[in-house]
Amino acid sequence: MVDMEQAWLIPAIPAVAFVVLAFLNGYLPRRGDFIAIGAIAAAFILFFAVAIDLLDQLPGELEHNTSGFDWLTINGIQLLGQTNDFVLRIGFRVDQLTLVMLAVVTFVGLMVQVYSLGYMKGEVRYGWYYAVLSLFLASMLTLVLADNFLLLYIVWEGVGICSFLLIGHYFERRSAAEAAKKAFVTTRLGDVALLIGIILLWREAGTFDMSEIFHMAEAGEFDQGYLTMATLFLFGGAAGKSAQFPFHVWLPDAMEGPTPVSALIHAATMVVAGVYLVARVMPLFEASYDGALYVVLAVGLITTFISAFMGLVMTDIKRVVAYSTLNSLGLMMVALGFGEAGVGPAMLYLFSHAFFKALLFLACGSVIHATEKQEVTALGGLGRKMPITSATFAVGALAMAGLVPLSGFFAKDEILVAAEHFSYAPFILILATLPITAMYMVRVYLLTFSGEPKDAHAHEHAHESPPLMSWPLVLLAGLAAVAGFVVFEPIGKAIGLESGFLGFVESVLVEEVHAFEFNWPIAIVSSLLVGGGLGAGVMIWGGEAAPATAAAARFPAVHRLLLNKFYVDAFYQWAINNVVLGFAKVIAFFDRAVINDTGVNGSGEVTNGLGFLLKFQQTGKLPNYALAMILGVAVLAIVGFSVKG
Amino acid sequence: METAAEQIPLEHFLFAAGVLFSIGVYGVLSRRNAVLILMSVELMLNAVAVNFVAFAVYTDGALFRGLIFAVFVIIIAAAEVGLALGIILRVFRNRATANVDEVSQLKW
Repeated sequence: MVDMEQAWLIPAIPAVAFVVLAFLNGYLPRRGDFIAIGAIAAAFILFFAVAIDLLDQLPGELEHNTSGFDWLTINGIQLLGQTNDFVLRIGFRVDQLTLVMLAVVTFVGLMVQVYSLGYMKGEVRYGWYYAVLSLFLASMLTLVLADNFLLLYIVWEGVGICSFLLIGHYFERRSAAEAAKKAFVTTRLGDVALLIGIILLWREAGTFDMSEIFHMAEAGEFDQGYLTMATLFLFGGAAGKSAQFPFHVWLPDAMEGPTPVSALIHAATMVVAGVYLVARVMPLFEASYDGALYVVLAVGLITTFISAFMGLVMTDIKRVVAYSTLNSLGLMMVALGFGEAGVGPAMLYLFSHAFFKALLFLACGSVIHATEKQEVTALGGLGRKMPITSATFAVGALAMAGLVPLSGFFAKDEILVAAEHFSYAPFILILATLPITAMYMVRVYLLTFSGEPKDAHAHEHAHESPPLMSWPLVLLAGLAAVAGFVVFEPIGKAIGLESGFLGFVESVLVEEVHAFEFNWPIAIVSSLLVGGGLGAGVMIWGGEAAPATAAAARFPAVHRLLLNKFYVDAFYQWAINNVVLGFAKVIAFFDRAVINDTGVNGSGEVTNGLGFLLKFQQTGKLPNYALAMILGVAVLAIVGFSVKG
Repeated sequence: METAAEQIPLEHFLFAAGVLFSIGVYGVLSRRNAVLILMSVELMLNAVAVNFVAFAVYTDGALFRGLIFAVFVIIIAAAEVGLALGIILRVFRNRATANVDEVSQLKW
C-alpha cells in the first residue's frame, strides 16, 4: 500500500515520462502520448492512496508524512555576517494544503492530457508537447510537495520554463514566440524576488526547511521588520507567477499557446502556484507586521478590479476567459490578505476554480477547434451546432459568475464571509466586482453561442468535437457544478473531510477549526448582484447587442481605455523602450568607448607605439650590437660588484 | 730554486691577460673589417686562456682543471674561426665586401 512516505512517486512518474518522451518520442507508436497519459493517470491514482493515508490520521498530528534525502551539503557558507550550512534537500511533505493541490493538479492534468489527444491530433511536435506537459505536471507536483524552500524554488523555475516552452509551442508564429518571452521575463522578475526572500530567510534561520522556519517565526525568533521584508519578497514571487498586478500582463498574452495548455496554466499549474505559496507561508505573514497582509490584499483587489473591467471589452474568447482568471486570482489573493481566516476560502476558490476554469478553456478550445476562429466578432450561433460545448461552457461561465448552487457560488461566498469579518471596505469592493464578472461571462457566452452567426463559413464548418474532447468537458462540468458542496459538513464527511473543506484546510494552520455555517444574508446579497449582472448582460448583449455598441460609442474614451488594458502594457513597452533600452545605450557606450576603445584597443596601440619607437635599436650594424653587449656586461659587472661589496 | 711561477706574482699574468682582453675589445669595437674583428675576438679568447693557465698553476697545481679549460678554449676558438671565416667568405662572395658596416640588411 502506498502511503504518504511514497508521495514522491506522484511527481516522479510524470518526470520519468518526460525523460522517456523527450528522447524517444520519435521511436514510439503514437509518439508516446499514452505514456504521458498513463503517467498522470498513475499519479492521479496514487493521489487517492496518499489521501486515504492522510485522512486516516486526521484529526491529529500527521506522522510519517515526509520523505526525501539530502542531496548536497556545504558547511559554513558566509553571507552578510552570518555563517550557515547549505543543504540541498530533495524532500517531500504531505499535508492538507498539499492534498488539495495534488487533487487539482493530477485531475486537471489528466483531463487536459486526454483532451489534447483530440485537440492536438496531427499538430507539429506532438510528442514534444506531451513530454513538456509531463514535465510541467511533474514540476508543479513537486512544487506542492516540497518540504523546503530551495527545492520549491528549483521546481518553481521548472514550472516557469515549461510554461515558456508550451506558450511558445507554435514558435514559428512570431506572436507566440513573443508571448512566451513575455511570460518568461515577467514571471522571472517575480522569481528573483522569491529567490531573494528565500535567501533572506535562510540567512537568518540557517535552514531552508519550511516547518522549521515557520516554527521559528511563530516563536518570534526573527526580527519582525526583517521577516516582513523577506515575506514581501516571497510575495513578489507569488505575484509574478499568479499574474497579480503589476505582473498581470503576461497572462492574457499566454493565450498564444495551444488551448489545453492555457487550461492547464490557468487552472492547475503555474498561476495557482503563487496562491499556493502565499497560503503555504501564511505563518510568516502572520508573524510579520500587518502591512505584509495589507499588501497582499491591495494587490489582489487591484488585480480583481482592473481585470473585471478589461474582460468586458475583449473580443478574443480566450482572452475574456484569461481576464476572468486574473479576476479569480485577484479574489484568491484578497482572501489570503485576510490572514489565516482566508486560507480556507482561498483554497476552496482555487479548488472549484480549477474545475470551472479548466472547463471554460477546454470549451473555448472546442470552439476554436471546430471553427478555427477565436474572435467573438467571427463567432455566434454555435449553440445548436455544438450542444455539448455550449452547455458545458454555460456551466463554467455561470460557475465563474457565482450562480447558486454552482461551485463558484460557495467559493466566492466564503471569501465574502471572511471579508465581512475582516473589514467592510474589501467586502464592498468584492461585491462590486460580482455583477461585472457575471456580465462579461454572459457576454462571451451570448456572442459565441447564441445570436446570428457572424461568419457564415466558419459556422457551416462547425461541428461538435470528438468524444475524446467532449468527455473531459462533461466530467469537468459535473465537478464545476457540484464541487462547491464540499463546504458542507455532511458532504465533507462523506468524502473523508472532517468538518467540511474549510475546516480541513484550516486544520493545517490552527488546532481548533471553525464549524461551517452557511451565511444566508451574504448569500442572498451576492446572489442578487450576480443575478442582476447576468440579467444586465443578457439585456446588453442579447440579440443584436445594440446597447453594448451604443455604450461603446457613447463613451469612446472609456472603451479605448479598457481595450488598451488601462495602458499598462503600453506603459511597460514605453518603459522598456526608454528606460531599459536607454540604460542599455549608456552601458553600450561605456562598453564601446571605455572597455573596447580604451581598454582593449588602447593597450594594443600603446604596445604598438612603443614597439615602433624601440625597433630603431635594431640597426643591423654589428659594431652597435657588440658595443651594447659589452656595455651590458660592464653594467652588470658594476652592479654585481657593488651589490656584493 | 724557485720556479718561474714562484718568482713572478700572479697579478702580472692577470694584468697581461687584462691588457690583452682590452685590446681585443677595442679591436672588436673599432675595426670594420670582419676578419680583423675575428682576430680581435681571438685575442679576447687567448686572454681568457692565459687567465685559466695562470690560475691553474698558482692555485690548483696538483690538478689540471684550468689547463684542460685552456685546451677547450683553443679548440672552440679553432672551430669558431673555421665557422666564422666560412661565413665571411660567403658574405664576401655575395657582396664583394668584408666591411661589417655595409652588411646591415638584418634590421627594422
